[in-house]
This record gives sequence, structure tokens and C-alpha cells, in this order.
Amino acid sequence: MKHRWLLIHSLGVYVFLYGPILLLAALSFNRSPIGATWTGLTFNWYAKLFSDADIIDAAQRSLLIAAGATAVASVLGTAAALALSRPGTRGRGPTAGLLYLPIIVPEIVTGCALLTFFSVWRWELSLWTVGLAHISFSVSYVAIVVRARLAGIDRTLEDAAQDLGASPRAAFWRVTFPMILPGVVAGALLVFTVSIDDYVITSFVAGPASTTLPLRIASMVKTGLTPEVNAVSTLLLGLTMILVLVAQRLLRGPGEGSHI
Amino acid sequence: MKRVFALLCLMGLMLTTGCAKKSELRIYTWTDYLPQEVIDGFHQRTGITVTVDTYDSNETLMAKLASGVAAYDLVVPSDYIIQPLIRQKLIVPLDKSRLTNLPNLDPAFLNQRFDPGNGYSIPYLWGTTGLAYDKKKITTPVDSWDVLFDPQWTGKILMLNDPRECFAVALKRMGKSINETDPAVLHQAADMLKKQHALVRAYNSEDYDKTLASGDVLIAHGWNGQLAKVVSQNPDQFAYVLPKEGGTIWMDNVCIPTAANNADAAYLFMNYILEPEQAAKIVNGVSYASANSAAKKFISPKILNDPNIYPAADKLKGWEFLDDIGPTSRLVDDLWTEIKSQ
Repeated sequence: MKHRWLLIHSLGVYVFLYGPILLLAALSFNRSPIGATWTGLTFNWYAKLFSDADIIDAAQRSLLIAAGATAVASVLGTAAALALSRPGTRGRGPTAGLLYLPIIVPEIVTGCALLTFFSVWRWELSLWTVGLAHISFSVSYVAIVVRARLAGIDRTLEDAAQDLGASPRAAFWRVTFPMILPGVVAGALLVFTVSIDDYVITSFVAGPASTTLPLRIASMVKTGLTPEVNAVSTLLLGLTMILVLVAQRLLRGPGEGSHI
Repeated sequence: MKRVFALLCLMGLMLTTGCAKKSELRIYTWTDYLPQEVIDGFHQRTGITVTVDTYDSNETLMAKLASGVAAYDLVVPSDYIIQPLIRQKLIVPLDKSRLTNLPNLDPAFLNQRFDPGNGYSIPYLWGTTGLAYDKKKITTPVDSWDVLFDPQWTGKILMLNDPRECFAVALKRMGKSINETDPAVLHQAADMLKKQHALVRAYNSEDYDKTLASGDVLIAHGWNGQLAKVVSQNPDQFAYVLPKEGGTIWMDNVCIPTAANNADAAYLFMNYILEPEQAAKIVNGVSYASANSAAKKFISPKILNDPNIYPAADKLKGWEFLDDIGPTSRLVDDLWTEIKSQ
């Protein structure tokens, strides 16, 4: 009896979470440009998408920034997490607290603050400022996720490796790093999606020729969203799913079960 | 040494981002306000690469320009924001000797209160803020703002999500100017809007046209361009009205920001869109009226003869431009917050 209700409840949750996304993808093949009534199957919107330079440019920029922010934030965040997990580090308490700030502070406040920062330093708004802004809030996400992972592993293994003759660098790369890798990958994926989808902060710090996909889509709301938007969203969704699958495969490789 | 090198690289990056090529023009304008063929034509003629970014409100434009680090060469602010932009030194006085096509403009649109002598701005497109309604459901012809306050249409009314525009409606009903600054009068207008709040289905400045077209509301307060499109797609069902009490005429203008990197390209572009054929292409593309009288012979007759886009001059008596009301803006903002939180 309990299992049946659990099943129904779970199905309900999945439908609620994934229903809209499936509908979005389905409507990208709908002939009608407005509304949700199905009027026929078509690939027109995908064809239109590939000739719409504005959306393609915006999507390319979003992907570029997401990739860059993920790369840098993963490195910085992991480094921060490692430093904070070492008992000897000075200023652990305050720094750990500071790490949560970018996540807790409302995006509008962060956006305003970043714009003011760039303004004070006369740093012209461009794709670089958007990238920097994304890195600044992404580091926290990675650091928190990796810290959680570190808490669950045995740090003495690193010491044991050194006792057995490994240099500190080798001990890190061959013992600690493989253990925290699922956490780093999880953090990286999280940052990638957060960066692609960020609207508020990006709208503050974007300058000439730095319109990202969310900004472009938002500006289309005024004049009419066509299923082109559904098409580009479906493609992005597909890309993200492929990334997740690849990441899972890589982690499952060395015989370890997936712990993401 | 490594640290110094890294610092130098960083500084180098910072400097390069600022250097716009002299062959680049960066425009910041409203969404879908500049047809691609006009941009392409300019590029073909001059070889200058044009990038267009868009904003959805004058306030966003002002915030970006005020930061001092958004290097746009051309912006398109609305009438009421021009005085604040001038006061904060965010736009530059125009050298009109570089705009040889200026005589193409209709003199009736020049020398307005928001920019006397057009020292800082050139008219781009203009329109009215009226209302459109469903003729089939509301059978008595509508000619007054009163219909937006009629309890009979509770839940079927849409107002713009714009404090100045909503106050303009209330003030016109009271026979006052839309640029009223007397606090007592403004409080009365606010009371009228507070009572109206219960009748309004939505306050929306983005897709008021679609909300009307879909039947979610029967009367929509809105800007004429989008509403005129709804009416022309369904003239038996919808009508756009310029209420007899009067209302807002709005005008968007082209200006050059102080932080522009390439003012030369900006002047070239401004002169280009003042040409009759280019101005007509813009009108045909966005369905708003241009202040360019020489362009009329190239504008599609469907648009030129549409009284919702090009109203006859006598219909516009009692219609005013929104002015900057200075410190009274704060009172209007506060009252608007009270109205929205009814």
C-alpha cells in the first residue's frame, strides 16, 4: 500500500518537473507560431534558427562564457575547498562564511555591485565583464560542492601516500584528486547550467556585443516569442544531457559506482 | 616575476576591450526598432560594422549610461528621459551641421519642451498611448477613458505597467495636464487609480496586444504600434481609440552618448536614417509613425492611411508629450507603489 502511494507521488513529482520541459521540446516541432494547439509537424523553426544570426550569436556567447566560467571556477573553487578543509589554514571561519555570500545575496544586488565595481575601475562592459561576473558567483558553488565531497573522504590516505614515498604533488593528483573528482564534476556541471541560464546579473554587466541567450530571449518577449526559442532551448537541453551522460560515463570508468 | 607578468596581461586585456575599431558602430535601442535591412544597407554603403543591443525600458538605458562603462555610440531614449540624461551629462550636444538631411523632418515635431531647439536629440519615431477594445463584446462605441474605470468590465481591463502613463489617464479624466506637479491633484489621481485597481486584470507593458488578441481582456491601455497591428489583423473585432479627454503622445529620439567611442559613425548613421527611403523602410518595418515628412512618399499606403498609426492632426488636440517632472517623480513613484499594493 505504502509503495503504491510512493510510486504515485514520485510519478507526480516527475511529471511536474519534466512535463513543462517535454512540452517545450514538443512545441518546437509545432507548425503554429503561437499557442499550444498542435497544428502539424514541422522542422521549420530549427531551419529558421540556423539562419537567425542574432540567436546563434547569443547562444555562442552563452556557451563560450559558460565554458570559460566553468573552467576557471572549477579550479578556483576546488582550490578554495581544499584550503578550507586543512585544519592549519588561517581565517577558515570567515572565509567559509564569505563563500556563501554570492549564493545568498539577491542577484539584483550582486548585479548592481558588479556594475558599480566595473564603473569605478573604468572597466568597459563587454564579454569579459560578463565572464568575470559569472566566475565570481560560480566559485562559491564549486567550493561548496567540493567541500561536501571532501568531508566524506578519508584525508589520511593522502598522508599515507606520502609516507609511502610519494611527493606532495603526486599524492594529491594520484590519491586525493580521483577521490574528489565526482564532486568537482558535479560542481562544474552546476556552474555550467547556472551560467548559461543567468539573466539578472548578466543584464547588469553586459555591454556592446555581449548579449547572451537569456538576454536575447527576454528581449523577444516584447515582440513575440516564436517556437525558434523552443528550438534553441531544446538543443541546449540536448547538449546539457549529453554533457551529463559523458561525465557520468567518465566517472564510472575506473570501476567506481557513480556517486554524483 | 610571475605575478608581475600576470598583472601586465590583465591590464593589457582591460585596455584592449576599450579600443573599438573606427569601423564599428554600436547602437543601443529598443527591441525590434531597427529593421535589419536598414542596418545592412548602412554596412554596404560605409563598410562600418554595426552591432545592435537592446533594452526594454528607459530606466535600463539610463542605468547603463550612468555607469560610464557601457560604450555605445548611439542610443534611442524617450522624450521624458532626455532632460535627466542632459542633467547627468550622459548625452552630448549635437553638431547639426553634420546632419544634412535634417530638413526632411516635419517641423511640427521639432523644438519640443523636452529638448528645446533639438540641441541633443533628433526625432526617430512617435506615437500615441490610447486604448483598444473588443468591438464585438463592447457594443456601445468607446470614445473616453471612462471605459477603463467601468465596473461592468471588471477583470477584463488591462493597464500599462507604467506609472506616468496610468497617471496620465487619471489626470486627463480630471481635465488636468499629464505633467501635473501639484501634490493635491496627484493624490486625487492616485485615489482614482486605487479604486480602479480592483477592476484591472493585469498591469503589463510587454504583451498587452497579445493579451487583448487572445481575449483575456476586453479593453487594453497601450501604445499604438502594437495595438494597431492587432486591429489591422482583425478589424471587425478590435478598434483603437484616441479618447476625447486627450492623453500622451510619446516620441523616441536618437542621441549620442558622452561615452561614445565612434561619434563619427554615429553622425553618419543618423544622417543615413534621415534619408526618406531609409526612414520609410523603418516605418514599414516597425509600424510606428516617423517624424520624417519626406519619407511619406515611400511609406506603404496601408500604414500611411492607418489612422491608428498616422492620426489626423485635429484628433491630437489635448494630447501632450510627457515631460520630466523633476522631484515630483518621487511622489509619483510612492503613490504608484501604494496603487499596485492595493
